[in-house]
Amino acid sequence: MIKVRDLHKNYGEHHLFKGINLDIDKGEVVVFIGPSGSGKSTFLRCINGLEYFQKGEINVGDIELHSINRLMPDKKDFDTIRRIRLKVGMVFQQFNLFPHMTVLENITESPEKVLGIGRDKAVENAVALLKRINLEKKVNSYPDELSGGEQQRVAIARALAMKPEAMLFDEPTSSLDPEMVGEVLSVIKELVDEGMTTLIATHEMDFAREVADRVVVFDQGEIVETGRPEEIFTSPKTERTKGFLSRILKRSIM
Amino acid sequence: MKNVLRLLSLILGLAVILAWTVSSQTSDNSLEKIKKRGYLLWGSDAEGGAPYAFPNPKDPSRLIGFEVDIAEAIAKELGVKAKQSQNAWDSLIPALERGDFDMAMNGIEITEQREAKVLFSIPYYIYTEQLVVRKEETSIKDINGIKGKKVGTLSGAVAQDILMNIGGVEVKVYSGQVEPYEDLALGRLDAVLLDLPIAAYYAKPNPKLKYAGSPVGEGFYGIAMRKGDEQFKKKIDEILSKLLRTGELKKIYDKWNMWNEAQAKLFESIKGASGYVGLEESKKAPLYTFLPNLLKGSGITIIISVVSMALAIILGLVLTILRLYGRPPLSALAAAYIEIYRGTPLLIQLYILYYGLPNIGISLSPLMAAFIGLGMNYAAYEAELYRAGINAVPKGQMEAALSLGMTQSLAVRRVILPQALKIALPGVTNDFIALFKDSSLVSVIAMVELTKTYSILAATTLRFFELGMIVALLYFAMSYPLSLFARKLEKKLSNKK
Repeated sequence: MIKVRDLHKNYGEHHLFKGINLDIDKGEVVVFIGPSGSGKSTFLRCINGLEYFQKGEINVGDIELHSINRLMPDKKDFDTIRRIRLKVGMVFQQFNLFPHMTVLENITESPEKVLGIGRDKAVENAVALLKRINLEKKVNSYPDELSGGEQQRVAIARALAMKPEAMLFDEPTSSLDPEMVGEVLSVIKELVDEGMTTLIATHEMDFAREVADRVVVFDQGEIVETGRPEEIFTSPKTERTKGFLSRILKRSIM
Repeated sequence: MKNVLRLLSLILGLAVILAWTVSSQTSDNSLEKIKKRGYLLWGSDAEGGAPYAFPNPKDPSRLIGFEVDIAEAIAKELGVKAKQSQNAWDSLIPALERGDFDMAMNGIEITEQREAKVLFSIPYYIYTEQLVVRKEETSIKDINGIKGKKVGTLSGAVAQDILMNIGGVEVKVYSGQVEPYEDLALGRLDAVLLDLPIAAYYAKPNPKLKYAGSPVGEGFYGIAMRKGDEQFKKKIDEILSKLLRTGELKKIYDKWNMWNEAQAKLFESIKGASGYVGLEESKKAPLYTFLPNLLKGSGITIIISVVSMALAIILGLVLTILRLYGRPPLSALAAAYIEIYRGTPLLIQLYILYYGLPNIGISLSPLMAAFIGLGMNYAAYEAELYRAGINAVPKGQMEAALSLGMTQSLAVRRVILPQALKIALPGVTNDFIALFKDSSLVSVIAMVELTKTYSILAATTLRFFELGMIVALLYFAMSYPLSLFARKLEKKLSNKK
């Protein structure tokens, strides 16, 4: 469903991606791991058109996104990016709920204004989503009245309200207090169980092992290894993966 | 937000209609226009004061002065009424050229430079220049004793040229004729050289001052009319000759005690009876007599401030959006606009708008020019406030909106601006209060708002202190409720998002 071919990305002098290739099937759950700054977040952001890339192409379904002129993108490019975003929902590390809107308005805003579905229908959908994440009591609360975990669950509901075909999670639990990580992960787990095509960048290794169909290890802008979770976590093939895993496992023991 | 915008655009719409209906007119056949209009429109500066044209101390909404009498006599001959149009003295000629009134009469000396720009009538008065010093002054006996001294005069007056030509004199120019005498009495000047009628009215009754020597220089006051307005000039000349022959003009000068030997060249010599009107009386008039004028000035200040701010708020928003989200040529233009308007004085912008644009065929009414001048200037400042507000909204907000499939413009409208404007609000209300005070600058483009009303009244009555306190109080009464309202609004917005 998602095809990435020869993706190049530089930040000025720094050449981050030097030709990445990756295919993701419909319904597949892919977890991206790797040290901070390895490029896993940037990779997800490229798929959603939030980062420009200099060379290569990304296919989502039948939509093709080529590298585009960053300074003068034309209307057609914007249109392509937007069509991709309508297929692919995104959840951010910092939640990014709209602080001036209630929980309900956060969820109904885009379905109403972008998809043009009626107010009543949008509210009905939103309430159903809030029930699913056990937050129907917070319909009229503002984001700053919610805990971090609740905010992130609303952010997931907000993305789902657009009925995407795939979901991108960019370190969804990294800014949460430890006791709230579980409630967010269980919402993601539910989604995965329903068969949603899911891409997750995370440091939660246990969760990766539990939900992933495939694990992709990033290091310094390169995919150093991909494989089934049991292969990666029990018998990694490369030294870089081994090094990363031992560092992160040591940290979780301490 | 939507309602506020709607209200603002309504105010703007009304203002445009109002401004166009009082729009000025330019044409060369003034004579016909005066007859059609039913009144003669003549320009002068009431701040210039007595005895030319100044507010009647008993009824400050009406002007009196020898030139008011002459204007009325001329209007009577034309079979119409006379109406004065207020304008700063040193811009009377440009205002005449742009067609704000039919003629200018305000002690305008006939000089070669001025004749190059306007038509002058035959002289209606012969003026001389009188040097005035402090009572105890002994070193300055006459005009020959002023070398190396500080001498005050009126900006653009012939006396200024005389002083410059003497050389070695430290010339201080003023825009009003009262202030030089005030400064002389206070010891800030050594002498003042001004037209005799001015000296006779303001210096002679002052016990601290005295005349030094006899009058020097001699020149003519003439009525200024537009170039090309030949028929009108012919008619005015005929009327002035008639008023001269019948002795009507002399009667007027008698009334204002302006006769002197020099006038013999214009008239048969007849001794004038004395009788000052004004100065002493207006010094005693109760303060409430000035209130209607001051309140009218306040009203104009409020209209100008509210409409200009509405314009600034909307135009500023357009500028910010173009600057931040517009394509290269537009964003650069918006940025240039903001930098130019912030980097040049408001006063210069107003002058260009009002006196400069008529040169390329765009003639704005004073009210319209005030709205646009202040509005366009403040728009640059509002734009910067909005930009700061937008920059303060976290980047993730835009990314989240885009990731939900919103277009950039929808995201700006629904997600970014509501948050940014809330951040910008305290700055905007602060600017609104500042605008109330800056609105006094539009007096240079012939708007008589509160500050101008004050300087006109104070120049006539010399009651700078009492009137000043009242005017300051009026300004405070306008701006303080505004800051209270702003504080309430901010509180409301931070409670409910």
